[in-house]
Amino acid sequence: MQLRDLQSAATSHRGDRVFTRTVAGAAFTSLVVLAGIAIFLGLQAIPAFQTQGWSFLTSTGWDINTTPPTVGIFGMLYGSVLLSVIGLVIAVPAALLLAIFMVFLSPPRLAKVLTNLIDLMAAIPSVILGLWAFYILNPTAEEWQILLNKYLGWIPIFENTSGNFLGTPFIAGFVLAIMMIPIITAVAREVLSRTPPDLINASEALGCSLWTMLRYVALPYGRGGIVGGVMLGLGRALGETIAVFFVLKIVFETNWDKIIESGGGSVATLIVSRFGEVSGPLELQLLLAAGFFLFVMTLVVNVIANLIVSRTGRLQK
Amino acid sequence: MRPWRKKPTRFTASVTLAVVIPALIVAALYLTSDIPVPILLVVIYLPLQLIASGIAAWATKGTRGIADSVIIVNAIGASLFSVIVLVSVIGSLIVRGLRALSPHFLFQNSVYISPSTPLDYGGIGHSLVGTLLIVFIASLISVPIGIATAVYITEVRGRAVPYVRFFVQAMSGVPSVVAGLFILTIVVATGAFNQSAFAGGLAYAILMLPTVARTAEEVLKLVPDDLRTGALALGSTRARTVLRVVIPAARTGIITAVILGVARVIGETAPLLLAAGNNDQTVVNPFGSPISSVPTYIFNNVALPYPDAVTRAWGSALVLIILVAILFTLARVIGRGRVGR
Amino acid sequence: MSTAEFEDVMDLDIEGVEASTVHPVGPAEMEARDVSVWFGQRKVLEGVNIVFPKKTVTALIGPSGCGKSTFIRTLNRLHELIPGAALAGSVLYEGKDIYDAAVDPVSIRLQIGMVFQKPNPFPSMTIRGNVLSGLKLSGMKRDNHDDIVEETLTAAGLWNEVKDRLGNAAGDLSGGQQQRLVIARALAVQPHVLLMDEPCSALDPASTLKIEETIRELSKEVTIIIVTHNMQQAVRVSDYTAFFLAEEGTPGHVVEQGATTEIFGNPQEQRTLDYVNGRFG
Repeated sequence: MQLRDLQSAATSHRGDRVFTRTVAGAAFTSLVVLAGIAIFLGLQAIPAFQTQGWSFLTSTGWDINTTPPTVGIFGMLYGSVLLSVIGLVIAVPAALLLAIFMVFLSPPRLAKVLTNLIDLMAAIPSVILGLWAFYILNPTAEEWQILLNKYLGWIPIFENTSGNFLGTPFIAGFVLAIMMIPIITAVAREVLSRTPPDLINASEALGCSLWTMLRYVALPYGRGGIVGGVMLGLGRALGETIAVFFVLKIVFETNWDKIIESGGGSVATLIVSRFGEVSGPLELQLLLAAGFFLFVMTLVVNVIANLIVSRTGRLQK
Repeated sequence: MRPWRKKPTRFTASVTLAVVIPALIVAALYLTSDIPVPILLVVIYLPLQLIASGIAAWATKGTRGIADSVIIVNAIGASLFSVIVLVSVIGSLIVRGLRALSPHFLFQNSVYISPSTPLDYGGIGHSLVGTLLIVFIASLISVPIGIATAVYITEVRGRAVPYVRFFVQAMSGVPSVVAGLFILTIVVATGAFNQSAFAGGLAYAILMLPTVARTAEEVLKLVPDDLRTGALALGSTRARTVLRVVIPAARTGIITAVILGVARVIGETAPLLLAAGNNDQTVVNPFGSPISSVPTYIFNNVALPYPDAVTRAWGSALVLIILVAILFTLARVIGRGRVGR
Repeated sequence: MSTAEFEDVMDLDIEGVEASTVHPVGPAEMEARDVSVWFGQRKVLEGVNIVFPKKTVTALIGPSGCGKSTFIRTLNRLHELIPGAALAGSVLYEGKDIYDAAVDPVSIRLQIGMVFQKPNPFPSMTIRGNVLSGLKLSGMKRDNHDDIVEETLTAAGLWNEVKDRLGNAAGDLSGGQQQRLVIARALAVQPHVLLMDEPCSALDPASTLKIEETIRELSKEVTIIIVTHNMQQAVRVSDYTAFFLAEEGTPGHVVEQGATTEIFGNPQEQRTLDYVNGRFG
């Protein structure tokens, strides 16, 4: 029995072919843009390596007066990570608690109010958060940090030798946390609310406490999604520029662990802070090279985050 | 989902006690001693509250309840923390920014204004024009491409759909400063244009596109399939079905997608610092020269040592958040309206 | 049918179709020859042979799941839009195979219209807009849109109810009214055949009767093929009936076909007798 050829006829309509191709072309814009960013910025990274060698990535400093300039972004790369980690330490427990509260504890109307609140937090532009952090958070945090140093200063990360408690990585990390909390909370809430009700009812029937249910049912179930959400928040924090710029005092030395000591840096703030006073095309090129590494860093984190979120989404089905 | 909220009266009584007693103790300490507030809160109140709640839980539920009470106290604490931060941010905007607002603040520019000029003169008119212009250009670019991307995913359903979704997702993670840097590289380095509204619009478009595409995709998926089949049964081509039936049916959702995209980018500063620069004058030509925008204005005035300049920064921040609030409200109102009609 | 009209049928210009200005073109004859249908590897219909004479109403009856809806979608080439769809055999329209490589499926659907089980007016258009939407979507040019709106809505039995509110949204109508609107919309592109897939099963009895009246009237101009679950409806409305059946594990096929009076009054096959007497299905 001869099968009829349906495909060539169905798609042979001229107008539809044009339409399909145009739409497909537009759809690939995102690929083109991503590739463009990678290529254009990457091309700038090559000369940077040629003049700096690996020390571009392994040393810290920004002296453009020497020939060739001695420039290294290690401190900035480290700073980006340090700030994000500080932010995560604050944001992850807060976001999880918020999500648990909204899903398992609060009355539905309160949960709705909180959801709107969190969305509002997410909508605040970073320049406004930076403004608030500079004028309100910074002075307030100073008092807290002084006390922290006074009573816990024997722990290395809480040491402060300069007596300057303004513009510290801790404050910058705190601002990042405020940006990350809405993202992580939204994902965690979504994931936890999908815990199968049967499992929850069963645990309650067995006389489990909330904590036991969380520990053995909800959190393991939602683990993948929550990790994905955390990584999404991390990606956001790594790329954040303006709020950190307002708050952090930028120094070209690696601040390893003195988080309540003034001074630090991140790749994003490096770019913005040097951009205004760029001395020439050479320095601009170095900034572009730094931008390339920032792009790669955030891309990797985001891709992994999306893979985790989508993979666990499928598993949970 | 919430079996842990059952409340017998004994429970309510113990909880009330557990909340009131630590609060009273701390209040008393605050008034009578000069223990610094942070210590009061963290070192004294928090442990007291935890212990009190733990006791209350133990009294009503036995040892099982203690862990739960810890979680509950901390969860409430986290919620309060978020509320406090939010109130602080919004409150400071209003308290510190309201003074700067006036009609001339919204319409005049900063041509003859120096940081020490009093508030009666000058304004952010040029910045508002800049923001509007840049956002408009960004929408012109990102909305058609975003809708086309969504159409490719839901209507054309080519084999490359998973890849397209992957790239759109990846694009949503691009930091705003990188987008600005990229546009700067292409546009300025190739000498095509200088810092301009057009360049800023391009940078914003990169940031807007993923939001528009993702929301449009969700909205197009909601259009019932029998509309498509009905159109095809009438002798329509795929193209006409999408353009004349599916997209009109998803009209309100697409408008919402655009509004959300705009709300997402309107406060982004870094890309404009790089790609659009700054200008005290009101610029209308999108290609000619650097142009101001509301976030850039804030950025430039934040750290100046003149109180009036700082007040202007707060004022423009207030204007910005009001714009964002209007956009989100619009999106809600439109979205709630005729869904799918 | 004249040669010019015949050429029109098989070689329609994508840009637009010039409709005859003299008189709506009359109903056509269709025939399914040895049609077998697959979804991927699964065969769902086996060797269907049915003739649909001009200006008649043919009912396709049978229990659910035996392939009637799938079959009717092969008659206007909607079946192939489903991924994995496959077909063997031929479907003749006026003696020519519509699955021929030279035939444009989009234009065929102008000749062979379809009405679905769930009324699907376009929500973004008005009542008037819906009626004329077929013209807009297919690129067909016809004059006198007002006349078209009145004629088709009258033929569909809806004109009196909506003539004063043509500018209203189509979604404001009741289910029965929407279905009649959809029929008017299908008629506006002047099909020669109208396929109807259980058009009344989602409607109340009053609307059902109205539509059955419409079907009887329409069959004077248009050949109608209707899938129905409702045997009384088949008796009321159709001249010919084909009985489909899919026994367990086997593809659907036509057990018996013929004049409606014969199929219901004096069926030849035992299975037909059982079905029309309500013993299964």
